[in-house]
Amino acid sequence: MKIEALLLSVRLALCVSAILIAIGVPLAYGLAYSRWRGKFLLEAIVALPLVLPPTVLGFYMLLAMGPRGALGKLWYAAFGHGLAFTFAGLVIASVLYSLPFAVQPLVASFETVDSKLLDASAVLGAGSLRTFRRIILPLSVPGIITALVLSFAHTLGEFGVVLMVGGNLSGVTRTVSIDIYDRAQSLDYAGANRTALLLLVISFLVLSAVYGANRRAGRRAWAPWPLR
Amino acid sequence: MRFPLRCLILLSALLVFRPTCAAQEIRVAAAADLKFALDELGTHYEKQTGRKMDVSYGSSGNFLAQIQNGAPFDVFLSADIEYPRKLEAAGLAEPGTLYEYALGRIVIWMPADTRIDLAQLGWKALLDPSIQKIAIGNPEHAPYGRAAVAALRSVGIYEQVRAKLVYGENIAQAAQFVASGNAQAGILALSLAISPPMREGKRWEIPAKMHPPIEQAAVILKSAKDKDSARAFLTFLKSGEARKILESYGFSVPASAQTQ
Amino acid sequence: MAIEVSSARLAARVRKIRRGEGSAFFLLDVQMEVPSGISILFGPSGAGKSTLLDCIAGLAQTDEGRIAINGDVIFDSEKGLSVPPQSRQIAYVFQSLALFPHMTVEANVAYGLPHAREQTRDGRVSEILKMFRVEQFRHRKPREISGGEKQRVALARSLVTQPRVLLLDEPLTGLDAELKGSIIDDLRAWNAAHKIPILYVTHSREEVDALGERVIALEHGKIVSEGTPREVLDAPRRRRLAQAAGFENLLRATVLDLREPDGVMRVRLADAVCEIEVPLGHAAPGDRVRVAIRAGDILLATEPPRALSARNVLEGKISSLERRGTLVVARVDCDVVFTVHVTPGAERALELAVGKKVWLVLKTHSCHFVEG
Repeated sequence: MKIEALLLSVRLALCVSAILIAIGVPLAYGLAYSRWRGKFLLEAIVALPLVLPPTVLGFYMLLAMGPRGALGKLWYAAFGHGLAFTFAGLVIASVLYSLPFAVQPLVASFETVDSKLLDASAVLGAGSLRTFRRIILPLSVPGIITALVLSFAHTLGEFGVVLMVGGNLSGVTRTVSIDIYDRAQSLDYAGANRTALLLLVISFLVLSAVYGANRRAGRRAWAPWPLR
Repeated sequence: MRFPLRCLILLSALLVFRPTCAAQEIRVAAAADLKFALDELGTHYEKQTGRKMDVSYGSSGNFLAQIQNGAPFDVFLSADIEYPRKLEAAGLAEPGTLYEYALGRIVIWMPADTRIDLAQLGWKALLDPSIQKIAIGNPEHAPYGRAAVAALRSVGIYEQVRAKLVYGENIAQAAQFVASGNAQAGILALSLAISPPMREGKRWEIPAKMHPPIEQAAVILKSAKDKDSARAFLTFLKSGEARKILESYGFSVPASAQTQ
Repeated sequence: MAIEVSSARLAARVRKIRRGEGSAFFLLDVQMEVPSGISILFGPSGAGKSTLLDCIAGLAQTDEGRIAINGDVIFDSEKGLSVPPQSRQIAYVFQSLALFPHMTVEANVAYGLPHAREQTRDGRVSEILKMFRVEQFRHRKPREISGGEKQRVALARSLVTQPRVLLLDEPLTGLDAELKGSIIDDLRAWNAAHKIPILYVTHSREEVDALGERVIALEHGKIVSEGTPREVLDAPRRRRLAQAAGFENLLRATVLDLREPDGVMRVRLADAVCEIEVPLGHAAPGDRVRVAIRAGDILLATEPPRALSARNVLEGKISSLERRGTLVVARVDCDVVFTVHVTPGAERALELAVGKKVWLVLKTHSCHFVEG
């Protein structure tokens, strides 16, 4: 078993979950509380990766990251090299791919905060930022943990997008799922089996932690299945 | 609402109960590098014999695993002769049907808009500083990837370019990496480099002596339902007509096949 | 009642329009002045009381109007001015109290004082907790204290910010009268020093009687009466008298006794010996009242009815029969003359004729108690 690939996957999953929380929290706030009429369009866009095959996303990412794509041009201008086949490229693609796994539990948990508490906060003189920081966030901790764990687990197990834009570079883009695939392809079934089993166990532990925590919290914050 | 719903049910039923393949249709599992050549071979075969064929393209390694686990193919066209040999050894192939139909050729390929004079520089073009990534098939399981690494070693630049290599899952994905501009050069199958979407690019053929032969072989599977049709296809593959088509798509036909 | 002149005053003109399918209708159309002290906003559920409070607090959007506290305008639709709720300095205690469940009592109360210096804040928090007798719970979470204690904490949390107006939306529901009284006393004590307008929403007559210095009655989004509790509570009777014009039978009666557990009272019809049961109203034995009954609500029988749920059965004689279109108007003399509407079919089936002996059946709830 290649520990390098596993470590890379963990590093990728950590980066992606951190970024997803950073951009997912404001996005989820907007989705939960905005009264904008076109909100449903944004909801649909966020949920797209749930239904799109990773090949579609990977394909567009590959084009976008190339020298003719907007993202690629920007990256060339800033760093002098392409975005495909880099760790950063993998992070960007994975953030997009795991977006609903972070945003949906956050939206669900923001929405379950009693609106009267928000009203109470407002009449006590708090602006929306203070209300968010002092009331919504602390009451959404289970949802935030769910979002973190699911983003982490989903990125850890991601394959299609990484395959499409990664280029299979050892230590840079060869994640554990790619490693498993390579082993199966080169008929090293025993090696594939060991790594796959490890990934299976990790994923199972992560998911049972989420479901267990939800159960203890006495309500279902959000779980990927059934979908909301 | 009732009418569309009925339509939907009918449509689903049609999809679910699609008529199974007609008689005398053979199912072929083919290596990705055959994509364009086999499309034409198929047309000729169908015209000549009146039989049908249904081709799945993919990675030879994947097909091997699938066939070992009972995938319902009749004929296996592998980019690596080792795989059909394994099947033969395991008793999953019809004995004596193994046929080496072609030798793969590899080329260095660059997009048409490259500034590098590939024809002049040959393999030295890969050392150009503007080349940041070179796409090849994954040498761990793609035969063309193995050949590419061997060629790089034989001219002594493997260590120099090693950090620039990116691996496509199969040779077709490596081609996609270059064609999309994410890699500036690729070492690809000639058959792909001269295919319509990539024909316009620049290419330099890597001499066959720089790498071990990429032996491609066909075999009829033990599980084949319609062995007659499978044999008919193999016979067609051995014909002069089929050999010409293969050559026109960038495969060289091995000496063993020419003597037949 | 003379409205006391005071510097603290909430003046609100609030129109909130709901646009349904087709025509728009007014959800709220209210103009009121609330002086310092407790004013009761009284009305049935659905009258728009909570919506009105939300509009004043800025939690709901007012479509048209003007709201000012002590002359300081916080909302004016004409000028496009709407101060956000966090800047209105209006305290609001919801029926659900909305204590922050993840914070201690102390942190809940200190929430409204983010800018005060620590020492000042602690001082003010302790003072108000003491005032509302919940100091001993300061380190507990809301779920660890009783209902009455929660209500005290909610009041303390609202008042520690020294608001210019206090809005209370049925904050004391579910408490027994004694506890309610003691909380109200503490609130009064607090307001003796601060003298701000307090608008207290309730749908309970008892609370109106117990609390009110001044009552505003709201029905269907409109103020229907204002004044002392007595004046306002009596108002519906006067209005109902006006409505009684639509009743064919309007009978004088004297209240005999109230049967509160049954929700009824017995009255004796004037000029007659008969007694009937009517729904419980605001009256005392001996009060002279009126009872209104629609002619169409009276059943007519030609034999003495038995095994009936109706409590009021009167015996009489038909004194006249008159055909009016598809309606037969019968007058029945039971010492008092009742007007009864029957269908022509019923007239034939029962073979009604002048002088025939009949029985009238009055459902208790068809007898409307009208006036004192």
